[in-house]
Amino acid sequence: MNDEHRYRSLRRLVLACMILVPAVPFIAALVIGYSHFTSALETGTIASMKRIVADHRHMLETFLDERRADLELIAASYTFEELAWPRSIQEVFRDLQTGSNAFVDLGVFNEAGVHMAYFGPYQLTGKVYREAAWFQEVMKRGWYVSDIFLGYRNVPHFVIAVVGEDESGRWVLRATVDSNLFNDLVKKVRIGRTGEAYIVNRNGLFQTERRSGGELMRSDPGMAEHVRRHPGIRTFIDKDPQGVEHLYATTWLEEKDWMLVVRQEKADAFKALRTTVYLVVLILLAGGTGIVLTAFVLTSRIVRRMERMDVEKDRLGEQLIRATRLAELGEMSAGFAHEINNPLQIIKSEQALIDTILDELRERGDLPASPDLEELRDSMEQISLQIERCSKITQAILKFGRESEPVTKDIDLLSFIPEVASMVEKKASVHGITLEEELEPNLPRIHGDPAQLQQVLLNLFNNAVDAVIARHGALGGIILVGARSRGDGQVAVTVQDNGCGISPDDLDKVFSPFFTTKPVGKGTGLGLSVCYGIVNSMGGTMEVDSEPGKGTTFTIILPAMSAPAGKAGTTVRDDGQGCEALSAA
Amino acid sequence: MDPMKVMLVDDEERFLSTTRKLLEKKGIPVVTAAGGAEALEMLRVENVHVVILDVKMPGMDGIATLREIKRRFPLIEVIMLTGHGTIESAVEGLKSGATDYLTKPADVDELIEKAEDAFEKRKRLEDKIRVAQARKSMQSAQQILEETKES
Repeated sequence: MNDEHRYRSLRRLVLACMILVPAVPFIAALVIGYSHFTSALETGTIASMKRIVADHRHMLETFLDERRADLELIAASYTFEELAWPRSIQEVFRDLQTGSNAFVDLGVFNEAGVHMAYFGPYQLTGKVYREAAWFQEVMKRGWYVSDIFLGYRNVPHFVIAVVGEDESGRWVLRATVDSNLFNDLVKKVRIGRTGEAYIVNRNGLFQTERRSGGELMRSDPGMAEHVRRHPGIRTFIDKDPQGVEHLYATTWLEEKDWMLVVRQEKADAFKALRTTVYLVVLILLAGGTGIVLTAFVLTSRIVRRMERMDVEKDRLGEQLIRATRLAELGEMSAGFAHEINNPLQIIKSEQALIDTILDELRERGDLPASPDLEELRDSMEQISLQIERCSKITQAILKFGRESEPVTKDIDLLSFIPEVASMVEKKASVHGITLEEELEPNLPRIHGDPAQLQQVLLNLFNNAVDAVIARHGALGGIILVGARSRGDGQVAVTVQDNGCGISPDDLDKVFSPFFTTKPVGKGTGLGLSVCYGIVNSMGGTMEVDSEPGKGTTFTIILPAMSAPAGKAGTTVRDDGQGCEALSAA
Repeated sequence: MDPMKVMLVDDEERFLSTTRKLLEKKGIPVVTAAGGAEALEMLRVENVHVVILDVKMPGMDGIATLREIKRRFPLIEVIMLTGHGTIESAVEGLKSGATDYLTKPADVDELIEKAEDAFEKRKRLEDKIRVAQARKSMQSAQQILEETKES
């Protein structure tokens, strides 16, 4: 149906609004919060890696500088002659070791690269290194630091060499240093679960062990492309050969071709982020579900309420139309009836004149008695009767259309209804009808004209009696009059019968003037419309509900007097035939 | 006192003539007027005791006519003739001095009955007036005597 379609689209609209309006800021807040958190976390992680790299580079450089300085001090303090003696180099080495136990051996070379004196675990004295790369470089630059190599006892070492100068010429002092010391320095770096640090040389060979696997002097195949000298600190993300993404921070030592690498598995570094993602998803699901559920519940409530209001509105509209139509009809028929009274008056006068003249004629003997005369007299009587009938009709119409000032007072239905019921009790019992009352205690009072209300109730009772007789004859009829508070400031009075009922076609018309199902002359068809007018003038409404063959219920809904409760309803239920019995009565 | 004389005022000509015939048959003298103005005019010359006055008439309506009659001829009894739709105006008429009212269609017998009641009332009133006037004239005669005595 059209209405259904309207409510469906209305429901959709309300639902969409109720979901979207809170969902948009909700999701926006989550997204913005998440992205800010992500970037803050990344910045923080990278910054701390950079700091670690910078700090450790500084420590390494300091270590190398110190070892070089140790050798330079010896070169400056002793002459070549003094150092070339094995005994003295042994003494010097002992001094050196007290300064730093990292030194493993010490040797002296003359300008030609001949190993003149040596103290250490090997027998190297006498060897010539003139062509060795390190010798050439130290002679050129004045100092030299080697890469790491596995030396004596398979322990990682590197060598430092410096040039000494005296009157005998240039010479070289060379020491082997145990790299375990700075190996440990680098290895002890720990960030999170997987964060680690290590050093590679310019060829990408490990100069320190890598905790996650990486022996000395081996290369890391994944790192090859990143081993290129660059200034400052570089950060990047790359996959290792196993395909695990790592965050890297790298820097090159200033005076040595070593690159310090700090890296951490990305998943580890951003573990907090994952927790956040779970949390965000959880909030999104819970919040979203909450929003959707609330929207559904509220929407159906709103739409239901609107439907109810629409129904109520339609009902009121129908009532208004009916009331207006009845008022117009009443006005029209009142004028009509009034106009008919004038000719009726004349007819009546004429009839009286004819009667008088006939009487005179008879008295004078001009009219001997005859069947014709009898017929004439009968006809005259009939005219008189019909005039009476017309007069009754116009009276009823005028009553319906009249707007007289009612005498209103507070009516206590609890005493009023039994009073009225007692008036019809006798008539009812004659026809074998049981009259029952069902009055709610503490019923609020109503305000109105008692005489008019009595008229309404009597009319409904009479109709009910007629309807019951029509169905049951003189046995088994029940008329139930009830009054209850409707809880909305109104009282409902019902008159219910188990009579013949009203057909659905007629049900619409029962309140219309001149509508009657009674035989001609038995009812004017004005009773219920008068009732309707009266109830309307009291600020109430009348409803009818009927099923043919089962019975009829008339409900009068009237505003209750006191504040809390609502309208009062009195129902008079009848069987549904002649609601106009009142006017005829 | 004269027998009761009735005036019928209505805009329905046929009602006037028929009712007049009926009343005259009962021996009641009747004059008729088709409107308020005509009625007032005739009342100046006719000695009418009871006026049967229709409430709803074109021109000067029943209530206005009633007030005018009561103003000019306070002793004349007026019975309002009304349709049901104008019961309110009948009540207003009663308040303005009408003796009684009849609803259309009215029975002639009823009409005569009410007219006679009104006439009785009128008679009683006239009697009272006569007695009062007589008493007053007697009183004044006594007063004159007393005054003369004193002087």
